[in-house]
Amino acid sequence: MKKTIAIVEDERAIRDNYAAAFSREGYAVRGYPNRREAMTAFAARLPDLAVIDISLEDEPEGGFELCRELRGLSAELPIIFLTARDSELDAVSGLRLGADDFLTKDLSLAHLIARVNALFRRVDALRRPAEDKQVIHRGALSLDSERMSVTWNGQVVLLSLTEFWIVYALTKHAGHVKNRQQLMDAANVVLDDNTITSHIKRIRRKFQVVDESFDAVHTVYGMGYRWVE
Amino acid sequence: MNRFLELLKTGPISGFRLRTKLLLLAMTTLALPWAGCQYAREMETVLRESEQQSLLAVTTTIAGSLKGRNELLFRADSLPGTEGSNPRDITPVVLSGVPLIDGRADEWDTSARNLVRVAGPGSDSLRLLAATHERWLYLALLVRDDRWIFDASELAALNPETLGDRAWLAFDDKRGGQQRLFFGNIGPGPVHARRIETLEYGREAAVEEPRIQAEWQRARDGWVLEIGVPLSMVGQHLGVLVDDRDRRGAARASYGTLEISDLRAVGRLIAASPDLNDHLRQFAQPGVELTVASSTGAVLTRLDAPALPGDYTRMRGFLPRMYRLFLDGGAIPRSVSQAEREHAAETLTGRAARGAPVTALFGGRYENSVIVAAAAPIYSADGKRVIGVIQLAQTADRWLTLRDRALTRLLNLTLFVTLFAVGAAFWFAGRMTLRITRLGAASETALGREGSVSRVLPEADAPDELGDLSRSFSSLLGRLDEYTGYLRTLAGKLAHEIRTPLTIIRSSLENLESEASAGMGENAKVYIARAREGSERLGAILTAMGAATRVEEAIAHSERHRFDLGALVRASTDAYRGAFPSRRFVCEIPEEPLQINGAPELIVQMLDKLVDNAVDFSADGNTITIVVRSGDTHVELSVANPGPRLPPETATRLFESLWQSRSEPDKRPHFGLGLYIVRLIAEFHGGSAQAANLPDDSGAVFTIRMLR
Repeated sequence: MKKTIAIVEDERAIRDNYAAAFSREGYAVRGYPNRREAMTAFAARLPDLAVIDISLEDEPEGGFELCRELRGLSAELPIIFLTARDSELDAVSGLRLGADDFLTKDLSLAHLIARVNALFRRVDALRRPAEDKQVIHRGALSLDSERMSVTWNGQVVLLSLTEFWIVYALTKHAGHVKNRQQLMDAANVVLDDNTITSHIKRIRRKFQVVDESFDAVHTVYGMGYRWVE
Repeated sequence: MNRFLELLKTGPISGFRLRTKLLLLAMTTLALPWAGCQYAREMETVLRESEQQSLLAVTTTIAGSLKGRNELLFRADSLPGTEGSNPRDITPVVLSGVPLIDGRADEWDTSARNLVRVAGPGSDSLRLLAATHERWLYLALLVRDDRWIFDASELAALNPETLGDRAWLAFDDKRGGQQRLFFGNIGPGPVHARRIETLEYGREAAVEEPRIQAEWQRARDGWVLEIGVPLSMVGQHLGVLVDDRDRRGAARASYGTLEISDLRAVGRLIAASPDLNDHLRQFAQPGVELTVASSTGAVLTRLDAPALPGDYTRMRGFLPRMYRLFLDGGAIPRSVSQAEREHAAETLTGRAARGAPVTALFGGRYENSVIVAAAAPIYSADGKRVIGVIQLAQTADRWLTLRDRALTRLLNLTLFVTLFAVGAAFWFAGRMTLRITRLGAASETALGREGSVSRVLPEADAPDELGDLSRSFSSLLGRLDEYTGYLRTLAGKLAHEIRTPLTIIRSSLENLESEASAGMGENAKVYIARAREGSERLGAILTAMGAATRVEEAIAHSERHRFDLGALVRASTDAYRGAFPSRRFVCEIPEEPLQINGAPELIVQMLDKLVDNAVDFSADGNTITIVVRSGDTHVELSVANPGPRLPPETATRLFESLWQSRSEPDKRPHFGLGLYIVRLIAEFHGGSAQAANLPDDSGAVFTIRMLR
């Protein structure tokens, strides 16, 4: 059975373009222009993944509200925020609401589809028992590349997809410096330096939630970042 | 004319600062003392004139009371031969005290104007002085005589053989007879006046006249005879004669004011009746001196001024003196000599003698004292002839003192008020200037370089016009702030608005490529590639437009911690060597760790922008120099590159938002935000950013100062 992707986006042309791209990949796509219609549909039947624009018609932050309501319906449903706004605050709020990823609309369709595929893969992996060979162990860190989940000292660290990919890129060759471009490639995003910096900052903070003394991500000024065990 | 109109429009002091203007304005209160002086001068004039008028009125009254009173003025019904004066006339001075009859000349003023001088034989001479006091007439005969011969005997006064030097006094008595008295003595000392009387049988005898006192004494160059005669004895004429003998019993050489042949008095005695003083005393006033003179100016009597009651001494001290100097000018005569004063009094008398009452001011005896005098003619009974003049003199001290006191008080007060007004104006002006300056400074700095507006201005609470000004500035700035706020967010808003249609274009192109590429011709693929390229560039532009906003947000969320700036710059420079292989990088960094408190990510970003800039403005193979210097409180980070000079006007604008001096077209979008971001980061670190040309003009250097 085809997986269903819900696109909540008030700009009809974008919605249709995305729908076309997803359909091409073999997904079933349903589009909604606003929160009310989306919620009505979601109440009847949940999609397998939701791509939500933050600003919806007359609600500048309707996407956040929708995300919260959707999380109320399902804890596992992958949610991707998509927005023209790229400021920090939007990102932080979106992730706090439990979104799995946060992307700007400059992202190419190919990248978007890669992300959607990855999220579906994760959902599938989470349904299967964990396989040890997929798990990288780096001291206190365990990183399951299949389930795209991370634990530190056995405690789960909730990372967004982009963040997971950054951590994954750093830990794959621990001790090697990864520059920003490499991290961006790994995360399948086109971001400016500031965004990478704030992603790194947020990753550190998320690890510090489970371990205050966390200090494994080092900044190598002028070059990039490095995972230190 | 135009200049005058211009002046009228702008005011004569428009060129000055406000403080000076207000000060000048306050100086106009200096007119107060001036007005006070004018007032005092007026007051003084009125006082003086009324004083003069009242004195003149009194004088005229007294003159009226003396009208036709010849017997008082001249002890007779009339002064014989009033017309013209005789050199042998005796006009006694009026003494204020009783002279001592002691045969000494020291009491007498030998330079007095009533001195009668008669030359004798050889170098001998007689000087006759006369004076009256009360009811007495005093005479002094000062005789130069090389040899003083005494009588041989007291008893044989009439024996020519025994006679020495003699003096004669002759006058007509009230009954019209002639009195002839002689003085002869056997030595110096008191001497009796004797009269030669013819007794029975024709015998002549010398009879003493006891009413007359006299003393005869030797002087340095002769002798002095002082005589006191009751005025009641004396009639209209009086004279003296000296019989000079070279030896006892020798022939006499006579000289004097008598007719030598018959010893008859021909010179007049011009002296007032003793009753005149009694008459005048009823008019006596404190501080007023009365003088009665004959119509020829000879003083008949003088009644001295009784002491002035109260304290009319003039005020002393520096200020009153200054005021007087300022006020009097040359209007009132200063102190004058005795002779001048007498001359002035005589002139006044002379003027009155011509028939009209007059008044005058002249200088007094002491410094700054002024005398006001009035004179009026005394007419004969028929009112046709002036028989005398009465003159009243009064020191002007009283009204001058009154004026001075009033004036001093007035001037002190106005001076105080003026000083206060000037002080107050100065203070007010200073405060006003300070307030305006503060407001001006605040309004100058209210609008920051990058458009940030501070709406809080000083004086906003003041209730006056400055407060209004401040408030209207504030509302103006508020509107400006809204406007600049709009402008500042415009780029971000635009970027956001443009991003949506751009996304439509991009996703459409991607869909087109994915779905229709198989059936497309080569040309169509080229067009699609171009369209994609264009949309990529548009995306880059949008990213650049939002860069400043993102940095501002990043700064707002930055956390400071201590880190080694030296290590950071060294590591970054290594990275730049990799990133820009066409440039050489030289690093001058202190060896020891250079800990600063800041956000290293931001510093790296700042360094990136500076190096980017240095690379853009230098040529391949050039050397870019990065220097870190440390001071006590600051560290300095500079990036220098060879290249073109900075245009002079850009040195300060370089770090402003949206300013750029790049002239050649570039493929990358530039919004002049790079150096603006550098400045934001420098300011976040408590420092500043500066751009300058290298000393030898070979390029530019950008220097960042940051707090440690």
